[in-house]
Amino acid sequence: MSLLQNINLWGDDIPYLSGLREKSLISFEKNGLPNPKTEAWRYSYFREEDLQNPQIDNEPVKCDGHCHNGDELPFDALQIKYCNGKLHINDWNAPKGVTIKSLIEAIYDGDIKSYLNKSFNADDFPFAALNGVYLEQGLFILIERGTVLEEPLYIKYHNHADKNRLCNIRNVIVAENRAKATIIEHFCAEERALYTQNTVNEIFVGSNAKLQHYVWQNEAKNAHHIALNSVQVKEGGNYAAFYANGVCGFSRHESYIRLLQEGAGAEVNGVYKLSEANQVCDISTNIRHLAPHTYSNQLVKGVAKTKAKGVFQGQIHIAPDAQQAEGHQLHRALLLDDNAEIDCKPELEVFADDVKCSHGASSGDLDREQIFYMQARGIGEDEARNILVDAYLNEVFALNENQDISEWIKAQF
Amino acid sequence: MSDFLLQIKNLHAGITDDKKEIIKGLSLDIKAGEVHAIMGPNGAGKSTLSYVLTGKSDYEVTAGDIIFNGKNLLELSPSERASEGLFLSMQYPVAIPGVTTNVFLKHAINAQRKYKGLPELDAAEFLKLIRGAAKEFDVSSEMLKREINVGFSGGEKKRLEILQLSLLQPSLAILDEADSGLDIDALRTVAEGVNKWHNQNNSLLIITHHLDLLNYIRPDFVHIYADGHIVKSGSMELAEDLEANGYRNYLEE
Repeated sequence: MSLLQNINLWGDDIPYLSGLREKSLISFEKNGLPNPKTEAWRYSYFREEDLQNPQIDNEPVKCDGHCHNGDELPFDALQIKYCNGKLHINDWNAPKGVTIKSLIEAIYDGDIKSYLNKSFNADDFPFAALNGVYLEQGLFILIERGTVLEEPLYIKYHNHADKNRLCNIRNVIVAENRAKATIIEHFCAEERALYTQNTVNEIFVGSNAKLQHYVWQNEAKNAHHIALNSVQVKEGGNYAAFYANGVCGFSRHESYIRLLQEGAGAEVNGVYKLSEANQVCDISTNIRHLAPHTYSNQLVKGVAKTKAKGVFQGQIHIAPDAQQAEGHQLHRALLLDDNAEIDCKPELEVFADDVKCSHGASSGDLDREQIFYMQARGIGEDEARNILVDAYLNEVFALNENQDISEWIKAQF
Repeated sequence: MSDFLLQIKNLHAGITDDKKEIIKGLSLDIKAGEVHAIMGPNGAGKSTLSYVLTGKSDYEVTAGDIIFNGKNLLELSPSERASEGLFLSMQYPVAIPGVTTNVFLKHAINAQRKYKGLPELDAAEFLKLIRGAAKEFDVSSEMLKREINVGFSGGEKKRLEILQLSLLQPSLAILDEADSGLDIDALRTVAEGVNKWHNQNNSLLIITHHLDLLNYIRPDFVHIYADGHIVKSGSMELAEDLEANGYRNYLEE
């Protein structure tokens, strides 16, 4: 299998790390890549050939810095960059109560051990298993108990067009009890770049902690992007994710969220706007309510045209003793022409008897009466349609707690 | 060059893909400065006329001509017709969730300015314009911030239509059942707004099935519309006769 490449990585001589890699390898070799019969991938399955033999690049980062020129954000942020899958700059001025270090450093120091590879079972996530085989690039971010990180942490991933790379990145993000932080992941690339981005974030939200997670993806037309956000939330904690998916050949954002203790909650909202032929965008969630009074909300809205395909798979699991849990889910999509495709699969598994759950899905076209009303005021049809699409997606943007970040993404969306 | 603002010549029209004709040979001439009222029973297809004039795609013209401001109206798209100076105040203005009234108005004004080759208004210029007009037409700034027509009362919707009339300054306004859903105070506000806008250079076509609005906006001509065409034209006295005696005398057996 060409995705498994015989290369030397840093730390093969560290038994802890080589053990993790070995364990991941066993899982990956056993399960292989998803195929058309893999239920979790049935709408977004792709062939290994589609990746066109990406290579793992184990050379040090080579970049003159042009990948992050002109990165003016309209808000203050702590900035971290990945270039071609490699962590780029390491002179972060982490504020008091915050640790930011490379995965390698964290493995060397040992403080990542209670988190790394602890939040999911690799047998369930084939690309996360592959990610584990090449554990090397990544970040360890720890926000200490009671620390409020005022500035968001902005992580930018940029890919060049020079080589077809397989970029495996593992970030471990820990918000200890009563900590509060905002993470932004921004994925971008040179227009003609070809690469496979395989990212796994392991996120640990402590008691009464709050983590907001914004993902803004606007990449290359030929890129593949597979991401797993594996999240655990403890008592009274809250994890809120927002995905904005623009250009990318294939993307899959999977949220695996376990609400471990009483009162833990999660929100997963998202928007996608697909207009490239054969573009696929998959947002899959699996939210597991494992304790009483846990709650979750999901609102995903998308727009697709020109043979693009949008996929939403939303699973809500409510364990037998998760009484008075609340889980709500809604996916709505607009198909702007006859060639677009939307696949939606809501799944509710409810084992407790005193819960509130809902799910809904709809798809349709723009409202012709609304278009005519705008035309009758002088607004051309194309402009009217664009205004209506933006308005349709606005409902999701409006839910974001940090409107500075939300507006910044919306302006580029 | 004729001095007509709008000329409708022997118009035949119906719903697209439906063979049934709704408008059957309607002719009407409107000069600048005139107020015309078209009255007819419910279901006679009065709204069809307003949609055919504004170019709604559900309707199809099968025969006849419409000349507006010297241009062949039927060759223009709905948005071009609006930018040429045709305005339709709708009976049921459409709610557009997610688009605030302010944003909608800015798009509309700038789209028409662009069509006319004028520079678009920036945020400050727009605000100045809108604030003045909103005050005049009793539209609160809170209303401007709300999503357009979403949860608006009947009166609020119609006031907003009139605000748009005043901002867009069309040469011909069609008021389609502008009085429906209005109490007497709201009706007066709407009529006052229309009268403020109206002058000798612009014209009005009022489509209604009763007299109420015409008591506030006096028409120069009243046309009785039935079975797809105008069966009788006259002055305000005709409208008063209709109110007293009904349409019976004018409907064909």
